Amino acid sequence: MKSSLIRPALALALVAGLAGCGGSDKAEFAVKGTITGIVYPGAVLTTNGMDLAIAPAAKPGDPVTFEFPNKLEYGDVYNVQFKSTPQHQAACGTPANTIANYTDTAGRLAEINITLTCAVDDYPISGTVTGLTGTGLVIANGSTGNSGAIALPTTPTTTPIPYSLPIEVPYGASYSVAVITQPTGQFCTVANATGEMRDGAVSNVNITCVAR
Amino acid sequence: MKSSYLRAGAALACAVALSACGGSDGQLLLGGTISGITKTGLVLTNNGGSDYAVPVPANPGGVSEFYFPDLISTDDRYSVAVKTLPSNVSECRIENASGRAAYHVYTIYITCDLKRHALGGNVGNLQGELVLVNGADRVTLQPGATSFKFAEIPEDSPYTVAVLTQPAGQTCTVSNGNGTMGTGDVNNVAVTCTP
Repeated sequence: MKSSLIRPALALALVAGLAGCGGSDKAEFAVKGTITGIVYPGAVLTTNGMDLAIAPAAKPGDPVTFEFPNKLEYGDVYNVQFKSTPQHQAACGTPANTIANYTDTAGRLAEINITLTCAVDDYPISGTVTGLTGTGLVIANGSTGNSGAIALPTTPTTTPIPYSLPIEVPYGASYSVAVITQPTGQFCTVANATGEMRDGAVSNVNITCVAR
Repeated sequence: MKSSYLRAGAALACAVALSACGGSDGQLLLGGTISGITKTGLVLTNNGGSDYAVPVPANPGGVSEFYFPDLISTDDRYSVAVKTLPSNVSECRIENASGRAAYHVYTIYITCDLKRHALGGNVGNLQGELVLVNGADRVTLQPGATSFKFAEIPEDSPYTVAVLTQPAGQTCTVSNGNGTMGTGDVNNVAVTCTP
């Protein structure tokens, strides 16, 4: 009799104790982080079957925080990837001089805090120089250190000499190429000198030099 | 007689050995990082002497490491100062300029600011919206505008002012649009628009 009362009581205590460990108290981890450098719309992040669209900040390029809708459980592996990068910003990933943290196991750290960055696409500006016989031709694109001296070919040639400016220009930026120093005894003009960078290299900034 | 020669010889050997350890013959480097140098003219001193003319870095940003050619010794006090500036620099700031050497000194940071000057000019007869550019720098002018200004640019930098977008129904041309910034403001970029 005595033992028959103790047994149900023990079983009840056990059940109550187990319920205390139930689902709702399990540790959960939000997959979240920060992306810098987003200027254009179109970014979509994906992990663990969830997609998350990312819009640029009010001031384009400012850091944007993100958090996926569903939380992960302890031990779940996440791997946050760009399903699509923003328009005109193909280069997205971990910032320079930073340890990549877009993939890990939930619960290894107390909090998930992923850092990512996107850069606006850069394209080169190039063209040809025709008729150059004098030395000293220097061209520039604005004042940002984007100038280049164009050397004479070692053997005289009538073929146009290819050149490209040392610094690439980001999508959406303007450019204005001009001659800063004319070559000795010649006068050079630049065709297609001014424009706004689109999605692709500019290769028609051609320079023609004639005798002065 | 013999011993006096020996003594003199020993003294001489001693003197030679000592002089080898003298002042500038330490084993430690004294230097750091410098930025903003695009032409020659920067001379640094250590403790008022050891003049060192810093060479111009190869990269366009003018950033490089620098080291005094004279080495210093452990426990030497050092105090680095700027003696002369390049002509296109307004100011150089030195961090960690002085201290006492325990090991090689790599921690002197010198940041130089280039002199900057205004770039601008006048517009005549503008009846629509005109967009002017100097490389990536952009200025939008409204109808009736008579002058414009770009961001200031460093001395000795090139500039290439051009029309990006013409006003509706007009064609504007730029004269004096290209050049190299000298020691004063450039205000003579002239834009004229067809009637």
